Amino acid sequence: MHNTEKNNTQSYLDRLKKQAISQENYGAEIKYDEANIQVYDCPECGAARALGDGLTVCAYCGYQFMTVKLSDGIHIKKGNNS
Amino acid sequence: MFGFFKNKYDNPALLEEIRQTEEKWFVFLDKLETRLDELCSAAVPELIALFNEDSDPYKRAHSRMLTGLMGQISQMQQKAIEAKEEHIIPFMHASSAVLPDLISSAGRKYHDRLYRFQMACFDRHHQFEDKVNEGIAALRSTEGNADLEAVYQRQLTEFERIKDKFSCKQCGGKLILQKMFFIATYIQCPFCQTQNTYTPSTEMQMLFHQARSLAEQRTKHLLLIYEQSRPKNPALYQQYLRSMFDEWNKITPDMLEENERFYQRLLKDHSINHY
Repeated sequence: MHNTEKNNTQSYLDRLKKQAISQENYGAEIKYDEANIQVYDCPECGAARALGDGLTVCAYCGYQFMTVKLSDGIHIKKGNNS
Repeated sequence: MFGFFKNKYDNPALLEEIRQTEEKWFVFLDKLETRLDELCSAAVPELIALFNEDSDPYKRAHSRMLTGLMGQISQMQQKAIEAKEEHIIPFMHASSAVLPDLISSAGRKYHDRLYRFQMACFDRHHQFEDKVNEGIAALRSTEGNADLEAVYQRQLTEFERIKDKFSCKQCGGKLILQKMFFIATYIQCPFCQTQNTYTPSTEMQMLFHQARSLAEQRTKHLLLIYEQSRPKNPALYQQYLRSMFDEWNKITPDMLEENERFYQRLLKDHSINHY
């Protein structure tokens, strides 16, 4: 009797483990990306963004890269507004 | 006139019923405890194995299995509560209702017996709840043994490898990362002034969220010293907290200001007595 209960517990745990492993992760699997560098040129005139001219508006054609007003963050500062 | 000649209240059937109900309750909880012990002792090695096997950084398979087991334990707890509410408490009230008055000598013996029954049943239930909590603590202790220091050192090596490997996407000029970034950051090209956007690898980004846990792992010996102090010494807690935040700031120096505010808040919260 005691052995039967132990077997039941073990088989329950085995089933639970299998189910836990096979179930799809909520939010999907993690996609591992390498570190990379990109540049976001102006889609209107193709000019690059330079820090001196601000980051929110294209210094050449006036295209708005961002509609938000930048505030002080970890790396971006208020002074980076065009 | 004073009731001297009244027959003393005698109800052996009730005494027997109390004994039997108590015995049944004890046997029922013994059985539940045996199942609980069996489940927990068999589950702990399985959970540890799954934690080590689970390649997901958030150990989600392990969490799912743990949640399933907690559900099982919660069902056992619920069964005990239902049995108490359906059999023990109504029995107590029903029995007490048919007894003579408590202040009469006839009723006293039965009321005392019923009170002892109630205390024995409730104490047994508390013991069961203690066992449940021990079981849950044992299951929970299987998580959180990831070696974050090794992960951090691996990322430091990785950063040393990649820090001068990038070039400006506009002019091709060489870019050098001055420090380890954990979030996407603008890097200015020193030649054409273009703002390049550097995105760290996924693992490096995760490190930002693991920094506190890593700092806690590094300073857990100080927390242990505080927890073992009797009475609990707040100065030791402050020493632990300061060291933990210093370690945290070493890992993510950009968060120094925010972390300092958080440190002050935790220190303040700790000094408040919650009643």
